[in-house]
Amino acid sequence: MGSKSRAGRWALATALLVSAAAAQDRVPLCAACHGADGNSSIPGTPSLAAQPKLFLETQLVLFREEVRVSPQMQPAVRGLSDGEIRRLAEHYARLPARSAANAPADAAQVERGMALAQKLHCGSCHLPDYHGREQIPRLAAQREDYLVESMLAYRDNRRTGADTIMAAALYGVSDADIRALAHYLARLR
Amino acid sequence: MIRTAVGLAVLVAFGTAHAQDKPKPPPAWHQGKPAAMADSKLAPHAGRMTATPTSEIPIDKLNLPKGFTVEIWASGIPGGRAMARGDKGKIYVGTRVIGRVYEVTDDGNRRTSRVVVDKLTQPAGVAFANGSLYVMAINKVLRFDGIEDNPNVQPVDLTDKFNLPPEQHHNWKYIAFGPDKKLYVPFGAPCNICEVSPEYAQLRRYNPDGSGMEVLARGIRNTVGFDWHPKTGELWFTDHGRDWMGDEGPQDELNRVAKPGLNFGFPYCHAQGVPDPDVKKADACKDVTRPVALMGPHAAAMGVLFYTGTMFPAEYRDTMFIARKGSWNRTKPFGFDVVNVRASPDGKNAKVTPFMTGFQEAKADGYKFWGRPAYLLQMPDGALLVSDEQMGAIYRVSYAAPKK
Repeated sequence: MGSKSRAGRWALATALLVSAAAAQDRVPLCAACHGADGNSSIPGTPSLAAQPKLFLETQLVLFREEVRVSPQMQPAVRGLSDGEIRRLAEHYARLPARSAANAPADAAQVERGMALAQKLHCGSCHLPDYHGREQIPRLAAQREDYLVESMLAYRDNRRTGADTIMAAALYGVSDADIRALAHYLARLR
Repeated sequence: MIRTAVGLAVLVAFGTAHAQDKPKPPPAWHQGKPAAMADSKLAPHAGRMTATPTSEIPIDKLNLPKGFTVEIWASGIPGGRAMARGDKGKIYVGTRVIGRVYEVTDDGNRRTSRVVVDKLTQPAGVAFANGSLYVMAINKVLRFDGIEDNPNVQPVDLTDKFNLPPEQHHNWKYIAFGPDKKLYVPFGAPCNICEVSPEYAQLRRYNPDGSGMEVLARGIRNTVGFDWHPKTGELWFTDHGRDWMGDEGPQDELNRVAKPGLNFGFPYCHAQGVPDPDVKKADACKDVTRPVALMGPHAAAMGVLFYTGTMFPAEYRDTMFIARKGSWNRTKPFGFDVVNVRASPDGKNAKVTPFMTGFQEAKADGYKFWGRPAYLLQMPDGALLVSDEQMGAIYRVSYAAPKK
């Protein structure tokens, strides 16, 4: 389906950018990729629904400041004021999360991911239900592909700047372990 | 933008070589966390990335000794922490997460700020010498010549001269020029507690152009604050104690560098001779220089300033002010204040006294703080500037003798 491809969505988003900027309301622009209800159905694009407000706020500022580099997000947040960022964060923090995992769970992977998450103490910051808090993102029900890519980027020092704690937390964790973690977390409610 | 392709390529190359050459230590984040704390939900506190209006800064909650007054001097600088004063009075302020360096201009009545440089990876280090601003991020060193006269000056990139190692954790910087005109730069341990390779857990000094590097002291986990004693010229620095060893410590340290080559104990020995329970060796504390003072468990002792002004009462002359940003790895809060520390020039008889409190609710059992004091700067009139990283603000503390 062409309209659901990343490129197709991106073209739509770019078109929306013009009107959204004028309207001072970027929710339709965000929705083009992140889903109308904040749950993304596009590979590589994260769900925003039920993320902690402060986490969303911080990431939007980091995109605006180009500390977190993304060719998709940079034009989308250009010119956003701190107030607009706060309102967007509030909007998405209120929406309920829905798991995007459409493949059935692989029991062995789930078990491996659960054990790893405990061993790595992910729940100390992300909380035992992995719903996140404040500046720390929700992991439960996030897209599996996005979780994999984020963890790889932290581990390999490609996602730098914001903090160094995730790079430290994933130091030495194998690709296979990262995939198991993502498989487990993506299927949590 | 200043992040160059070359810089990224170097980083990638280093990262790859590093991963292949060395056995991987356990992840730094949870290493050393005891079984008893496995269910702990302690986590670093959230910073604030957006500007805080002055109306939301409860400055009236701050307490100071009699005769001292505090006011909001500058605000709207999210994440602002270490400060450096230019020859012509502009104040430069570094940050971590938000990646900016600010310039604050005082017209005598009000302060305005602008962003000098942004998009950097934690440009926490700022220093000023001979008309030039030095900015040090985790992976970049920039010099802005004549910036007070020429706000749009393009920086000179000195990164290659400083040979920065690749690990990021605890490698954001506090930097300052010493009385010897050299630039002092810390390289923290890239972990909570671990054996470190030789380029980390140390304090170095360089010529201003990055040449002539010397390792001044080793065994330092994470110092992000230092100053020189006004009488002896010796460097005194704060160092953060390790995490996940319980609420009571090991405590942060205040240390004195009496001569080059000293070892301050990390990772084997902490505080006043506490051997590490995870990284062990025989005689862990042998030949380790002990701290001048313990600064409190998980207190996050940051900026150090020897006060040499004449505005404050004479008893403060040549004593230290130290900002304690406040704990997170502790079930009950500690720090969130500025203390005054008095000690003999040889480091004996140190005494720590509260000076500026009220950032954390005194009677609260849990974390109820609104501000996190980070760094200190003495102004020419003797007033004390205190940066608050949480509020993105700078406060000015002044003194007037109370009327009899």
